[in-house]
Amino acid sequence: MTVNIKVHNLSFQYHAEPILKGISMEVEKGDILGIIGPNGSGKSTLLKNINALLRPMEGTVMLEGKDLLEMNRQEIARYMAVVPQDTSVGFNFNAYEIVMMGRVPHLDRFQKEGKRDRQIVREAMELTSSWSFKNRPITELSGGERQRVILARALAQESQVILLDEPTAFLDISYQTEIFDLVKKLNQERNLTVIAVLHDLNLASQYCHHLLLLKEGKIYRMGTPREVITTSNIREVYGTRVIVGRHPLSGTPYVSLLPGINEKNGGKKSNRVHVIGGGGSASPLLKLLYSLGHQVSVGVINAGDSDWETARELGVPCVEEVPFSSLSKERHQDNLKMIEEAELVIMANVPFGRGNLKNLEAGLHALDRGIPLLVYKGNDISSRDYTGGKAVKLYLRLKEKGAREVYEEEELMEVLE
Amino acid sequence: MKGNLLKIILLLLFALFSLGVTTTIGVAEVTWGSAFKIVANRIPLIGSFITADWPSTWETIILQMRLPRVTLGFLVGASLSIAGASFQGLLRNPLADPYTIGVSSGAALGATIALFLQTTLGFTFQPGIPFFAFLGASIALFFIYNLARVGRVVPVTTLLLAGVVVSSFLSAVISLLMLLAGEHIRGIFFWLVGGLSLRTWSHVFLVLPYVIIGSAVIFFWSRDLNVILLGEEAAANLGIDVERVKKIVLVAASLITGAVVSVSGMIGFVGLIIPHGVRMIVGPDHRVLIPTSALVGGIYLIWIDSLARIIMAPVEVPVGIITAFLGAPFFIYLLRSKRKDFHF
Repeated sequence: MTVNIKVHNLSFQYHAEPILKGISMEVEKGDILGIIGPNGSGKSTLLKNINALLRPMEGTVMLEGKDLLEMNRQEIARYMAVVPQDTSVGFNFNAYEIVMMGRVPHLDRFQKEGKRDRQIVREAMELTSSWSFKNRPITELSGGERQRVILARALAQESQVILLDEPTAFLDISYQTEIFDLVKKLNQERNLTVIAVLHDLNLASQYCHHLLLLKEGKIYRMGTPREVITTSNIREVYGTRVIVGRHPLSGTPYVSLLPGINEKNGGKKSNRVHVIGGGGSASPLLKLLYSLGHQVSVGVINAGDSDWETARELGVPCVEEVPFSSLSKERHQDNLKMIEEAELVIMANVPFGRGNLKNLEAGLHALDRGIPLLVYKGNDISSRDYTGGKAVKLYLRLKEKGAREVYEEEELMEVLE
Repeated sequence: MKGNLLKIILLLLFALFSLGVTTTIGVAEVTWGSAFKIVANRIPLIGSFITADWPSTWETIILQMRLPRVTLGFLVGASLSIAGASFQGLLRNPLADPYTIGVSSGAALGATIALFLQTTLGFTFQPGIPFFAFLGASIALFFIYNLARVGRVVPVTTLLLAGVVVSSFLSAVISLLMLLAGEHIRGIFFWLVGGLSLRTWSHVFLVLPYVIIGSAVIFFWSRDLNVILLGEEAAANLGIDVERVKKIVLVAASLITGAVVSVSGMIGFVGLIIPHGVRMIVGPDHRVLIPTSALVGGIYLIWIDSLARIIMAPVEVPVGIITAFLGAPFFIYLLRSKRKDFHF
């Protein structure tokens, strides 16, 4: 693959305010790159620098090895097309005329649109399903239809790169997927390079091959959606706590917001809580504690089980053992270390077998160290003892040493306060 | 596009018809037939078949007074409409025309200074008056544009305000010059209110080159104007060097405005009404809009000028007064309908 666009050490400022600081990146041909980041992080400014609408103070943007600033507007327009955020227009050109304007970069001043141009416009409009309303005034089209027309215009430009600046910001979700499905199709069929500024992290995660996460004008992370959209990255850049799960169909990262919880206004007391879990018993508890803003850790759990999935989604530190294996001594020791750092240990409704009996011993360890231990919503221990009595024995010792059984959420909250 | 070509051809025929008819309208009763024959007599080949059966005064009236006047009227109307259409397109603002944004006032001042120097101090630079007018128009435009600019955009309100401010200032300067002109005040006044009386072929040939050059430039840049209607950023993304196009078109439009103002004075509202009305019919495509506006503007002005000749006969009303009477209500209507947002 060849490098299509190369940005080297690009810096830009409005007045005295630096907006972009030392951005370097490469976009390969056929890539779909999403630029994400909070408001004011410089997303749109970066796009405008890539497009030479703004001139960088420092650094260069190279298109196929050519310096952008040495090209004139017409040359740039043959190379890249732009689909802006808001395409509402206050004049009565019809859809066909708008798309025909995409041919302007290819025409000389005294040249008229010819047969080939009409052919290209027709193909572009058919591809974007906008041919059927070619004679309708642009002012009478719906937002989705209008955006398809603008996309057709970008195609008529026959550019190799399409820049999208939050193209669906004002559209209903049905149009959002429609537009992005189309962009994806064009990317596949015509090997178009797409660079999109996106607000919606889930849209970015689903459609982009690579993401560029900006923080205060610098690249915070660049990589695949899985590498970039993680709980900790989002927390670090956006200053907000989210749950990063998996999209049910595509398996791409899926961001869920947590209403009402924000680190900035988390005036409540935040405790270091360690959860002893396994087999999915700890998931609701982990989510609850996380959403309350506590610093949660979990152990020892087997990689791949649903507690492990939850821990990953929340970005919670965890001690993990390989799938379907007994807890090793090493992992047990790791777990004890984590317990020692906690102010409170909560044991979930874990079923115990030979493999994870050490987790009960870990509870004892906590009590020995004077760290309070709660057992949250635990069923009768004999009903989840698959060790022939060993677990029951250990559990009774826990209770003797002061483990407290808690069944109600309110009670748990009181203890945490 | 084909339908529009037909419209243009029909308009062209109607323009010729109007030129013919309005030539016969006036205080002196020259019959239709004679007027036609007088003109035809001058055309090579055909002329030899026509025998002169009319008084020689008629010939003078038709060939030396009416015809140059009608021709000039057509040129002026067409030029103002072309300038208006380009200002409106470039500024994406249907309220813009040479008059409302103050370029005409600049041209008027330039021409007044030239006239003043000519009448009071005896300098003669007749061919220089359009140049002075153009200079005045350009300077006024520069000031108005920069006054109205907020960051990188030129909003409607500030543009109109800047136009008003600059126009008032320039009018004051013109009034002062008129006072200083003493006995020559009447000449300057009649020129200023906008009239076409006593215009000769020399006036026509004076402005013709300016009008042809300016209009041609605007016509060749009309596709760029279309794209600029999408917004300046969108236009840049479609390969248009917006700032450059802006300068070229503004200068060209000021050139033709300056030229026609220098021969006809301040004929207001033509450049506002005509492109706007034409746009409603043929759409916003400048490649159609510009020639159509030129034809309609030319036809409009020669008919209005005929009205000016006969409405208070034998006194002639300056045509600028009539266009203002008709144009002001239309302007008010435009301002009022702005609430619904303009559609170009």
